[in-house]
Amino acid sequence: MKTQSAINTYVKEIGGWAASQLEACTRCGLCADACHFYQATGNPEYAPVWKTELFRRAYEQRFTIAGRLKLAVGLDRRVTDEDLKHWSTIVYEACTLCNKCAMVCPMGIQLGPLIHEVRSGMAAAGVVPGDLMSATMKQKEVGSPLGVTDKNWAERMEWIGDEWEVKIPVDVQGADTLVGFTSIELMKFPDSIAAIAKIMNKAGEKWTTSYKGREVVNFGFFEADEELTKLFLSRVFEAAKELGVKRIMISECGHAYDAFRWTAANIMDVPRGVAITHIAQVMHDFWKSGRIQLKKGAYDDAIVTFHDSCKIQRRGGIIKEPREILKWLAPRSFKEMTPNKEQSLCCGGGGGVISIQEADPLRFAVFGMKVDQMKEIGAKSVCMVCSNCRLQFTEGVAHFNSDVKVRGLSEMVSQALE
Amino acid sequence: MAEKTIYQQLKEEGFSRRDFMKFCGLLSGMMGLEFAAPVKALGALAGPNPARMVAEALVSKPRLPLIWLELQDCAGCTEAISRSQSPSLVNLVLNKIAMDYQETLMAAAGFQAEQAKLDTMKKYQGKYVLVVEGSPTIGDNGVYCTIGGRSNLDLLREAAEGAAAIIATGNCASFGGIPKAQPNPTGARGVWEVITDRPIVNIPGCPAIPEVTTGTIAHFLVMGQLPKTDNLHRPLTFYGHTIHDHCLRRPFYEAGKFADAFRGEGAREGHCLYKLGCKGPTTYNACSSLKWEQGLSFPVQSGHPCLGCSEPSFWDGGGFYQGQSAPLDRPSAAAIGTAAGVGAALGIAMAGANSLKKRKAGKTTAPPDQGSTE
Amino acid sequence: MEWTDILRFFRGPFFAVSLIIFVGGMAYRMFRIILLGWPRDRVESRGSKAVGIVRTYLKGVVLFPFIPWVKRTFGKNSLTYIAGGLFHLSLVLVIFFATPHMLVWKSLLGFGWPTLPTPVVDWLAAIGIISLLVLLVNRLTHPVLKLITKSPVWLNWTLVFLPFLTGYFMSHHLLFRYEVLFSLHMITVDVLLIWIPLGRISHFLFYFFSRTIHGAQAGKRAVAP
Repeated sequence: MKTQSAINTYVKEIGGWAASQLEACTRCGLCADACHFYQATGNPEYAPVWKTELFRRAYEQRFTIAGRLKLAVGLDRRVTDEDLKHWSTIVYEACTLCNKCAMVCPMGIQLGPLIHEVRSGMAAAGVVPGDLMSATMKQKEVGSPLGVTDKNWAERMEWIGDEWEVKIPVDVQGADTLVGFTSIELMKFPDSIAAIAKIMNKAGEKWTTSYKGREVVNFGFFEADEELTKLFLSRVFEAAKELGVKRIMISECGHAYDAFRWTAANIMDVPRGVAITHIAQVMHDFWKSGRIQLKKGAYDDAIVTFHDSCKIQRRGGIIKEPREILKWLAPRSFKEMTPNKEQSLCCGGGGGVISIQEADPLRFAVFGMKVDQMKEIGAKSVCMVCSNCRLQFTEGVAHFNSDVKVRGLSEMVSQALE
Repeated sequence: MAEKTIYQQLKEEGFSRRDFMKFCGLLSGMMGLEFAAPVKALGALAGPNPARMVAEALVSKPRLPLIWLELQDCAGCTEAISRSQSPSLVNLVLNKIAMDYQETLMAAAGFQAEQAKLDTMKKYQGKYVLVVEGSPTIGDNGVYCTIGGRSNLDLLREAAEGAAAIIATGNCASFGGIPKAQPNPTGARGVWEVITDRPIVNIPGCPAIPEVTTGTIAHFLVMGQLPKTDNLHRPLTFYGHTIHDHCLRRPFYEAGKFADAFRGEGAREGHCLYKLGCKGPTTYNACSSLKWEQGLSFPVQSGHPCLGCSEPSFWDGGGFYQGQSAPLDRPSAAAIGTAAGVGAALGIAMAGANSLKKRKAGKTTAPPDQGSTE
Repeated sequence: MEWTDILRFFRGPFFAVSLIIFVGGMAYRMFRIILLGWPRDRVESRGSKAVGIVRTYLKGVVLFPFIPWVKRTFGKNSLTYIAGGLFHLSLVLVIFFATPHMLVWKSLLGFGWPTLPTPVVDWLAAIGIISLLVLLVNRLTHPVLKLITKSPVWLNWTLVFLPFLTGYFMSHHLLFRYEVLFSLHMITVDVLLIWIPLGRISHFLFYFFSRTIHGAQAGKRAVAP
């Protein structure tokens, strides 16, 4: 019956948007060349078009006469439980929803979002990799996919404030900006949290964090479970409403930005008049308007490059802001990788992949391509504005015994504050 | 009393031997004999000299009786033959070799002429050649064309019964011609669709090229049988190639230089007439090789596109000035509109059914909502 | 039944029927999908959707066909890009700018237009045929294509290839008599017209949906499409 709930979800979700794109595919197979999982492994099942196969079957067999005829004469097969299991591995472990495939498709089909739809059926059927499911459950029950409780959070934040000597406000009523952090930053990159706090304070921003809205990471979004996605979003929205803030700023996280900025309003009621921004935008804004000053050439000692995170650059458009900052911080040493900007190569850790142990060999295979990119330009350090990428990079360079330094841009900016 | 041979008759009329051999040469050329299979088959007998073969036939054979029937016609084929400027070549064939009954040309008329015809048919039972011009009509038992109170079908069947061979000259007799154009109210047909038990040859054209008709008659006279034909019963010698194959404007076709209008540079330069509706590529006839008026010209050479008049149903071939590639049947704008409308309606219905399905699926899981991640 | 009769039939009534099925079928496909529901987008845009749409169409029509290596993935699959591109070029130019085809359009629409020289069209058709063969071999050997190609797609290739081949034979008077080749060409064209609404060849219609969606989402996010 798992299959039935998956199919049900697909049928419910398929509108003109999905149908017209499923019909537009000509089976040219060019999307495979854009997918880093296919490029790294050569496994034809990782071709993005193949990832949408079950979705296509559900659509054709339920909504079209041709599909029903094909089924009747044996030219096509129904979706089975085995299919679900098999494809679950493919769409959760061999796809980061980076959407590079959409850029290469001659028809412009939005394969990333379509694969997200495929995931939603699997989530409804409960056919999701175990690691991902348990992380999602932890976030549901405890408030964080890493299992960070309220108490953990409070203690940790206090420690960060002490250790880095920076004031981190919590639940300030009437603040302008609510900053949402991620468990990854909290546990793995506390320096990033301290850095962001420092920047906000230096700029004189009326900001706050919040107990209720302490987690912007959204494992419901990774799973593509709409109810859980909404639940996790609402925790932050509620906090924003209660505190009366004018805007929510996502810290260094990619999919959180995607979920809040580009998805929330279409699946739930969002608080009116509350803008959604990202730290990369905000600190650029502070710097451009003179609210913070940065030391020019602070990082000119070694070649530094920028990694474009899929959900922030390609899917979010925040492309020139980090670059302008970096060009100021390292005018002689900043070099672009190739490809870059909206064409950049995904790090391989997004979309929930990094949380699935089974997928480790895959994500490291993909990361090898990033190592090559950095080697090509002789980069000594790389920075980014997404902590998921940062975690993948950190683990990746260790895996490949590379000596490239991995940094967050916020952390670099805070060090260069004048 | 033995019949005089043709040669004897000609001699009596003052033909010298030289005139006679010239005549034979011309005749054999007209028959396209060099290329005819029987000539090749005869091999040593005929030798490399078809003219000689003709001579021998004319020397040994008597006049060929010929009856020329006109059914539903315009007499154009007769006109073409009789007005031919030939050095009486055609004249010679028809006057010296044959012709006992020809409605248009003969002086006699009325029941006596009809009786003369019947007498000839009786006298030469099984030996005469029947040439038919104009289409038989089968509508309402052939009442739409009667001669002397008798239906054309009757007359045709009567004449065909004793004929050694039938030559259908002109598109009307071959395929139904102009009367057959839609909606064909008289039920016009080709002769071969009405008479099925006699050897028959079609000489289509509108009109038929005179030399082709007479050449075929001559062939029958000399060879004793009808020439080899294609699957539409047209003599291969004359109908084995299309107008396109021998057209003098062919290089322009290949180069893609077309005349766009009857006046204009393309027309003046003698460019290909494809765009003006030339049916040359699908029309089998000898116009572009044999030409008309002893090789003077033919329609394309004179600047008019080929009408395809030696092909069945050429009047319904899509219009004389419509490109040959264009479809013959076009759905009207109304039909297209209806098709689109019906398709749209069915599509809307299907979308409706699918939407219901969506709603039903929504009810079985969480409440439906309008979310889609763009 | 003579070839002239067969030709009359497939140029005549059967063509009219094929055209009607084509129009009706495409209308059916389009409306079946358009009316499946388009949720309103309530997310605030960062940039202009319209700009994104214009940019993506310009890129697709003006940029990529002429300098395809601009796409980074070109190097990985140049065969598909080049053969696919040349095939489409040949298709469009031959269908609209070959003189005999223009005369067909003229009879359907009431007006014609200038055409390409015959030798040029001839080369284009040959390029189209060769490209199709290359694409076929590609589809038979590439691991991804082998996996995702089902039988209707093979039919697509065949029904598109045959009109090209018969048309080429026809214009060169190869192998058979002209009316035979013309008949074969018309048969294959009519069958193709009927098949188009039934399969993925109708992507030429859905292209406008997916391209517009792509441009809109890029424009909304103020990213280059």
